Amino acid sequence: MNSAPHIIQIALGAASSWQVKTVSERAADALSSNIWESIAYMAVALAAVGLLITFLGLSLIYVERKLAAHFQCRLGPMRVGPHGIFQTLADTIKLLVKEDIIPQEADKPMHLLAPFLCLAVPVLILGVVPYSPMTQIADVNIGVLFVTAVGGFGVMGILLGGWSSNNKWSMLGAMRAGAQIISYEVSATLALLVVVLFAGTMSLAGIVESQQQGWWIWRAHGVGIVAFIVYVIASTAEINRTPFDIPEGESELTAGFHTEYSGLRFSFFFLAEFINMFVVAALTSTLFLGGWMPFHIGEWEAFNGVMDLVPPGVWFVGKSSFIIFVIMWFRWTFPRLRVDQLMHLEWKVLLPIGLINLLAAALLVLRHLYFFPAA
Amino acid sequence: MSFMDFTDLRYEKRTLGGKILPVVVCPRFNPRSQPMRVFDAVKGLLQGMRLTLGYLLSPSKIVTQQYPENRATLKFPERYRAILKFKYDENGLHKCTGCKNCEVACPNASIKVITRDSVITEDHELDRYIWRLDSCMFCNACVQACPFDAIEMGHAFENAVYDRRLLIYGLNPIAGPAASALENEEDPEVRRRMSDPRTILGGPIPLNGAGLPNLKPVAAAPFVDPLPIAVTDPLPPEDGEGEEVS
Repeated sequence: MNSAPHIIQIALGAASSWQVKTVSERAADALSSNIWESIAYMAVALAAVGLLITFLGLSLIYVERKLAAHFQCRLGPMRVGPHGIFQTLADTIKLLVKEDIIPQEADKPMHLLAPFLCLAVPVLILGVVPYSPMTQIADVNIGVLFVTAVGGFGVMGILLGGWSSNNKWSMLGAMRAGAQIISYEVSATLALLVVVLFAGTMSLAGIVESQQQGWWIWRAHGVGIVAFIVYVIASTAEINRTPFDIPEGESELTAGFHTEYSGLRFSFFFLAEFINMFVVAALTSTLFLGGWMPFHIGEWEAFNGVMDLVPPGVWFVGKSSFIIFVIMWFRWTFPRLRVDQLMHLEWKVLLPIGLINLLAAALLVLRHLYFFPAA
Repeated sequence: MSFMDFTDLRYEKRTLGGKILPVVVCPRFNPRSQPMRVFDAVKGLLQGMRLTLGYLLSPSKIVTQQYPENRATLKFPERYRAILKFKYDENGLHKCTGCKNCEVACPNASIKVITRDSVITEDHELDRYIWRLDSCMFCNACVQACPFDAIEMGHAFENAVYDRRLLIYGLNPIAGPAASALENEEDPEVRRRMSDPRTILGGPIPLNGAGLPNLKPVAAAPFVDPLPIAVTDPLPPEDGEGEEVS
């Protein structure tokens, strides 16, 4: 009865174990034989990241505007192209040709550097995210640590931008962002550690492969779902999105840390925010929802075989899109938190929950008390 | 959050500073326990998310209108107020008796009702109903003041012109008694003589701008005479009325 899916699996070359091969591995292999092939792989990786950023920037901003409109009984952009699909492109061109104003009293080098620092962070993380078994640029063996460390660096750009603008709104926004991101980093990392405990590896590709029997969100006896919720809340705060967008609260701080930015540099901050959202969604799906791994239930071979028919890349995109949708849904539903409420939520609610959750996860892992433990 | 329970007020007399005074005792609001408050908060958030998802999934609730494109099929809210206009009965006759209640009610003095004595019945009747769009603030007071339900706020909102003098409208297409009075008259010849034509921009002064220097008169919507009664002997046209200045 299980023969048909097996034949399909064999035909697709996707047998019981997935063959992970990253671009950096290919480049390293090619290095021994042909250096130009190796360089070509690196060029492809660079171009791919560039294209991905462009695509994400253009599409996510459009999607956000459309979703925001429909959440509020509006239509959103409708004029540029059919259903306004070229609106973001037109806005980008407008931003590119706008004058780049630097305040007279600003700290010039820092002011110029800040947006690029801000954008560099998500770009670095994009390089280690496993999009599919064949599409990953580099698999760092300390993947989760790398992501956390680089992600924490993002606040640097914001602080620098706010400080160097020499503007009270900018500085207040930047200080708020600093306090907020550093606080929520703790909870987010605690939630990530739960998955690291269960998977027994920090490599992102390894974590995805460890979820072949089932995703960690529900395989881990409730600990996974708590970690998932804590991570979604904490990461929403980390990327400064509503309801945690006090660093750029329009009604209080004009535009927060990027008040004094215009034109291209403003668009870099804007782009970084949206790429960050994708990065968070990609990490959430990688760690908790199985990444590119199809939906598997233990030993149900027939069911798993049918699920394997959907290519891994589609699974990844689907899961990430769902998380992005949820984050946008939050933004257009919830009101903004006050600063003290924000700190209360982190230090008095999320942090204790995260710590207890991590402890429980450690006990579960010690006793091998999770669904479908590897034989 | 409310910290007082206003649903359970008690009225007592208390001794304050040696005097017996009536006081209102308001008990403290008994807050819900901490777990219940967390539950309430999460419930509230989920309710909000359900509401917005409902909006997302039901495109019929969208209120935005693609204005220049859907000009022919524009949907107006029931209480949309753009221009003042007369209501007509099925014969195309107005109901205005010239009582001037609207003129009195208008806070901006945007309405001027000119009446005359009918040549036939020697009754008081409407001659011209002049409304100034430029000073109107669309407060609807005239409509509410009208005892005969003769005027209403219409939906035509594309009223921009290049000269503010063109914003003075004559609302009544015919001068004469209200429909109720006119219908009592059986003889069609008498009825014809009872009412004179007026154009929408006609008035005691050249309201359509004709005759004003360097001004092109409004190419207003072609005047459609709502009167089924043929006017055989119209009054001589007003100064400049109906003359195109090119």
